[in-house]
Amino acid sequence: MSELRLSSIETRGVPGKKRYAMVIDLRRCIGCDACMTACKAEFDVPVGVFRTWVPYRVVGTYPNVRKHFMPRLCNHCDDPPCVRACPVGATYKVEDGGFVLQHYDRCIGCKACMASCPYNARFMLPKSRTYTDITSVVDKCTFCHHRVTQGLAPACVVTCIGRARIFGDLNDPASEVSRLVSTLPTQVLRPEEGTKPHVFYIGLDRHNSEFGRAVYSPLEVLEEDRQAFNKNHGA
Amino acid sequence: MGDFNIFHHMPWSSTYSIYFFTIGISAALFFMSTLSWYREEFRPLRASAFYLSFVLLAISGLLLISDLSKPARFLNIMNPAYLNFTSPLAWGGLNLLSFGAVSVAYFFMMRKNDEGTSRKLAVLGSLLALGLPIYTGFDLTVHQNRPVWNTPLMPILFVALSLVSGAAVASFLAGGKSEKLHVMLRRFMLWSAGAVGAMLISLLGTTAYGGSGQELTFMFMTSGALGGIFIGVGILLGTAAPILLLLAPFGRQQGGMMLAALLLLVGGMALRYSILVGGQIVQTYF
Amino acid sequence: MDMLNFKISRRAFLQASAATTAAAAASPRLLRAMEVELGGKDFSPVNYTERKAIPTTCHVCNIQDGAIAYVENGRIVKLEGNPEHVSTRGRLCAKGNSGMWYTYNPDRILYPLKRVGARGEGKWKRITWDEALAEIAQKLDAAIKEDPNTVMLKWGRDRTGGAIVRFIKTLGSATMMNHTSVCESSKKIGMQPTWGPDIETPDFANTKYILNFGSNVMEAAYFHNPYVQRVAEGMADNKAKLVTFDVRLSNTAGRSDEWIPVFPGTDGAVALALGHVILRDDLQDSDFINTWTNVTVEELKDHYRQFTPEWASKLSGVPVETIERIAHEFATTKPATTYTYRGPAKHLYGAYNEKACMMLPIMTGNIEVRGGYCLPRGMGYQQPQPEPPKPAKPSWMSDHPDYPLAEHKVAHLVPFWIAEGKQKINVYFTYMDNPVYTNPGAQAVWGKMFRDEKLIPFYVSMSTVMGEETALADIILPDCMYLERWEPESMPNSLWPWLGFRQPVIKPLGETRETRIILRDIIHKLDPDGSRGMKKYWNFKDGEDYMRQQFDNVPGLKEAGGVDFLKKHGVWPIYGKLDPASGKIVDKTGRPIEPEYGLHKKELSAADMTGAVVEKNGTIMKNGKAIGVQRKGRNYVGFPTHDRIINVRVDEWAEYGFNPMPTFKQIPWHKDMKDDEMILTTYKFNVHVQSRTASVKWLAEIAHSNPAWINSETGRKLGIKTGDLVRVESKVGYLVTKAYVFEGINPKVVAIPIGCGHWEYGRLASLKLKEKGGAWGAQDDPDLKNVWWEDNGVHPNLIIPVVADPIGGSQGWFDTVVKVTKAGPNDKYGDVQASWEKHVDAFKETMRYAYTGDLHRKMHPEMASWGGPDSARHKEGGGH
Ligand SMILES: Nc1nc2c(c(=O)[nH]1)N[C@H]1C(S)=C(S)[C@@H](COP(=O)(O)OP(=O)(O)OC[C@H]3O[C@@H](n4cnc5c(=O)[nH]c(N)nc54)[C@H](O)[C@@H]3O)O[C@H]1N2
Ligand SMILES: Nc1nc2c(c(=O)[nH]1)N[C@H]1C(S)=C(S)[C@@H](COP(=O)(O)OP(=O)(O)OC[C@H]3O[C@@H](n4cnc5c(=O)[nH]c(N)nc54)[C@H](O)[C@@H]3O)O[C@H]1N2
Ligand code: SF4
Ligand code: SF4
Ligand code: SF4
Ligand code: SF4
Ligand code: SF4
Ligand SMILES: [Mo]
Repeated sequence: MSELRLSSIETRGVPGKKRYAMVIDLRRCIGCDACMTACKAEFDVPVGVFRTWVPYRVVGTYPNVRKHFMPRLCNHCDDPPCVRACPVGATYKVEDGGFVLQHYDRCIGCKACMASCPYNARFMLPKSRTYTDITSVVDKCTFCHHRVTQGLAPACVVTCIGRARIFGDLNDPASEVSRLVSTLPTQVLRPEEGTKPHVFYIGLDRHNSEFGRAVYSPLEVLEEDRQAFNKNHGA
Repeated sequence: MGDFNIFHHMPWSSTYSIYFFTIGISAALFFMSTLSWYREEFRPLRASAFYLSFVLLAISGLLLISDLSKPARFLNIMNPAYLNFTSPLAWGGLNLLSFGAVSVAYFFMMRKNDEGTSRKLAVLGSLLALGLPIYTGFDLTVHQNRPVWNTPLMPILFVALSLVSGAAVASFLAGGKSEKLHVMLRRFMLWSAGAVGAMLISLLGTTAYGGSGQELTFMFMTSGALGGIFIGVGILLGTAAPILLLLAPFGRQQGGMMLAALLLLVGGMALRYSILVGGQIVQTYF
Repeated sequence: MDMLNFKISRRAFLQASAATTAAAAASPRLLRAMEVELGGKDFSPVNYTERKAIPTTCHVCNIQDGAIAYVENGRIVKLEGNPEHVSTRGRLCAKGNSGMWYTYNPDRILYPLKRVGARGEGKWKRITWDEALAEIAQKLDAAIKEDPNTVMLKWGRDRTGGAIVRFIKTLGSATMMNHTSVCESSKKIGMQPTWGPDIETPDFANTKYILNFGSNVMEAAYFHNPYVQRVAEGMADNKAKLVTFDVRLSNTAGRSDEWIPVFPGTDGAVALALGHVILRDDLQDSDFINTWTNVTVEELKDHYRQFTPEWASKLSGVPVETIERIAHEFATTKPATTYTYRGPAKHLYGAYNEKACMMLPIMTGNIEVRGGYCLPRGMGYQQPQPEPPKPAKPSWMSDHPDYPLAEHKVAHLVPFWIAEGKQKINVYFTYMDNPVYTNPGAQAVWGKMFRDEKLIPFYVSMSTVMGEETALADIILPDCMYLERWEPESMPNSLWPWLGFRQPVIKPLGETRETRIILRDIIHKLDPDGSRGMKKYWNFKDGEDYMRQQFDNVPGLKEAGGVDFLKKHGVWPIYGKLDPASGKIVDKTGRPIEPEYGLHKKELSAADMTGAVVEKNGTIMKNGKAIGVQRKGRNYVGFPTHDRIINVRVDEWAEYGFNPMPTFKQIPWHKDMKDDEMILTTYKFNVHVQSRTASVKWLAEIAHSNPAWINSETGRKLGIKTGDLVRVESKVGYLVTKAYVFEGINPKVVAIPIGCGHWEYGRLASLKLKEKGGAWGAQDDPDLKNVWWEDNGVHPNLIIPVVADPIGGSQGWFDTVVKVTKAGPNDKYGDVQASWEKHVDAFKETMRYAYTGDLHRKMHPEMASWGGPDSARHKEGGGH
């Protein structure tokens, strides 16, 4: 008898199938934000929303202070709760490659997928956009499906100045991502959520990947911006 | 997260909590109408509770649709080719639709005074009505990454909330009509408010003792942005106070009961709002 | 002028490097290629069709990275690094990736405009090119008749490859200036006389130790993108240690192995003390010093004895133990390199600071070695012939008698000089230069000058947007954006020399014309029949034709196909292929290409030596020029200085009473600062370029406001928390801004970045988005409806007084003493005020430090035997 499970098809380790993954080497990330704008350009991503973003934290006391960057994007989870949550199958997983993608023409905009993603990887596209006419539906990083399936690395990977982003097929033992994941300690974000993320971090600092008390008493200059965002950015 | 100005919206806005509120009342009122076939005290509510339930159902439907960013596509939910059975929303959509259909049929059977069919429809409708708070609870609890939402109590909590709010509305509908009905509704309110209270205590406990995200959520809900609404309005004013009131002699009088019902309604709304928003605050910082 | 000014014989270096790059080191290939390629193509994410790729060169900032523009339905939708480019290696920074928004800025100016109200009132009339050119020609005609030097052209970025200078020379005027004095000029002047070039190219990828003085290479610096790629590589693959001196926690400092929060302006002292320890403990490379410099080890040891770690520690706040430890680490880790940018240089006596820093790789023999401190590698191209002659008369302002060593001029003093009547100006041109925003004094100084029609009777701005300077113009000539222009390029931004270019990737929008065409059209209007002898220098059909005249005959490139090759590849030579598995350029065998080292040790050929004479010190002279240096019987090309060796002692400086040896001068007004006084420093965001990117939505979205950084301890003392309004007051004015209190800054420093607080520059930069877009012909961007921020920051330049380094001519940006207090009840966020009179006082004060000023001698007691300004004046014409 086959087991009863509600999770989507796992693609890691399936023979004959690709399983793309990204390794983010935090030792090499310089916080240049090139990935953020490259991705914006690739997809005409509107102002206020991001498929990838690079938050940072300053840690330590003067003069022993450091800055940590942690690039973020959709993890193309192998057990993506967003896919399970979508009532109309508008978000789905591609078996060969492991991409989690969107049928924009099907999405009703219920935002259940946003609520289910533990990583804030999804966002609602606003009504106005520069030249692409897909609006008011949920969007997120596609792992650059349109490029990867045509033999090109994702836009953020290509432009990554620190070469902190490395992309490839985890099912291919000879690929660079396989080598990195199997020879270096890597971490994923919020592993306790059981989503099986496929963005692996080298040198992840728990300061960055866990909620800290700073959330509860956020810096005031940041709060003003946050309020302006909540007030002015209707999505 | 960090000192950076990339912000995230909460996926589910307050519209959704109003929906929880109206749909919960709608379900409970239908249940009251059903009871009227089996318990005489409820007879005065049969029609009025049903009509209000129906109106609230329509309002809820509109709220739900208008909260979609693509409202014109709401029919996609019924498209069998699209249906995704792992989504509680899909089930909920079907539940809602069938409840609507049964309600319409019930309406006609009642008009025709076809008691036999009406009774059957009432039972069927009540089961579907029970499904509504259950599915809304599920809707939250399946998101296991969200503090507060991620408890199996959630569907039961929503059933209890539905009953409190429904009974409160019903006590207004009942007016001064029947002493017995009053006793029943008071009991309904008391027991379900008590159940809500017990569940909230357990919810607060598990949230406070959870991981960092849970604990921060507890802080936000008790002393931070939501403190006033959740603790002040939802728990103290909207749950504890009416329970005490209903237990007091004044609460047995009509005026006292009305006041308690009003407080319970305010509290029910506040609780739904803070549970919905509370589960989303911390993650906007991640 | 950031067009890096190589004094070095280009040909010698070309021969040394371009031809023979096959010297690949044996490093085995470990990895299989990533199964996906790193760029070169792009597809539409909506319909998966391929986008048209056109190579060009980025010019969002001035680093000139090789780029590819992708065009879909006639629109530039995407930019990417050119994977064939040896420096860029397929990557662009955040700004480079947003470059299309220069073109599609909804507030771009797409036709010529003429002012109709008062200057700066903001009322414009659309005119035709013909009307604009006719009016300009008429004003030029009158001005030239009076005195060609009354025509002034000041540029900021000039990447026209000579067209701008050709234009002003064609008019016969010598009144031309650039922005380098507010940029990094003292760094250049600190280096040039010492070893020839005005910049270093550290071999970051192969080094083991990087001592970084005040360069924010992870966010800015020359050359951010290409360099930091190698820094990351060196740190991760080679385990190089990065030590950063900065007054605040820049991203570079924050990602360094060690951040040393030095007191502003004291890097020189620390560097000298490091040198002291190295020489005291005999850790220097004596052979290198004795062979390649004009001092001996003994002389150097004697000279450095005075610079003790205790002395430097008192000045800089860097603990003695840190100085001792770093000195040992630096001297004993091989290879090692230093790197500097504006941190040490932008102070009074910034040139001394730079010099002190560059002494470290020199004394440890890390020059021109693998992983060390290398000479820049550049490449030249040609100029269309004939070329206009040198202007007949020198121009007072461009020849600045008080600053003879400041080869890059002292342009930030211009408004004071003009107001003093030092030189009359009839026609003033700006080209890509926004002094009203980017210079000290900002609108209080430059704004005042431009508004005064008596001082500047006619002002033409060649620009693309309504910058703060352009808003004050009489006529605006709309230039093309970089993605619509033809321009030649070459930058020494890696260890491999290259030539590249910029080609239009779309047709210019609206009625815009590219720079060289605008300039040509002005000349043709002025000299329609060639009778004034001007037209012959502007003999080209279009931008492409001009480009052919510059490139088609470059040896090597010519054989490869000249401009046609560049149109296809964007850059030449192509050294290898970008390897997806390593991100490096590899040769045919799959091994990373290696640069050539030891350029100074290249030997002269017998042919070179015929007719040459070897002087006593070894310098090889031929036809009155030093072509090399003889050492141990061998004839080397040496360094491109006057005697072909490194001049640790710069005799030329002594002529003007400056210390010719490495030295340090404490900034006098930093000596007795009161307890409540701090130093204001400014810096650059990783995502903004000068004044230019505030109108780029993706960059403004990431950074749009600039609260003042204050150290937590200072904040506690002053009772200031993050978010509080603070008043920052200098001797020339004050501003009110928000505070950001945290651990990442020296407690005596307050830092406010530039790039925010625009009052012009279009609706996004000044946050006037309620106004209608497309006022000057451009298409609106519906996405601007999503702009959500309400704070566009506060610009600090108004309250920064002018300071001029008497040697390098640089503005002392990072010197300003300010008082920081909690804002009062009447202070509003964004208040800025400064007075022209107080700025004039500051100007007079700074002139006192010039070699002709009364404080010069006081600052140089060690130069007591100097004969005074008159002894030097006789030497004028000595050729700088
Ligand atoms: N993102 C971005 N990149 C750019 C540019 C840009 O505008 N934006 N502009 C380009 C241009 S024109 C230039 S000239 C370069 C400039 O590049 P950089 O010189 O690297 O950058 P700056 O921000 O000017 O200054 C560098 C650092 O000096 C620090 N500093 C201030 N005073 C001192 C001091 O006394 N000692 C030390 N050690 N540090 C000090 C500042 O905190 C700052 O972090 O960048 C180029 N690249
Ligand atoms: N406080 C402080 N001030 C600084 C600095 C600092 O560190 N601190 N840094 C300084 C440095 S390093 C520098 S290099 C200077 C730079 O100073 P500038 O050279 O003055 O600065 P930009 O912002 O590059 O000049 C922009 C102007 O060029 C025009 N423009 C923009 N794009 C184009 C184009 O494509 N074609 C034409 N024709 N015109 C165009 C616009 O009118 C715009 O106003 O700023 C300096 N200012
Ligand atoms: S990161 Fe979020 S959006 Fe992406 S696959 Fe996982 S759950 Fe879905
Ligand atoms: S918002 Fe769209 S993609 Fe997300 S769950 Fe709803 S229908 Fe599916
Ligand atoms: S993989 Fe593609 S879609 Fe995802 S963040 Fe990178 S560039 Fe954006
Ligand atoms: S492009 Fe690479 S180095 Fe730059 S911020 Fe993104 S991940 Fe980090
Ligand atoms: S550093 Fe960035 S903006 Fe500057 S040339 Fe390179 S890619 Fe363009
Ligand atoms: Mo600069």
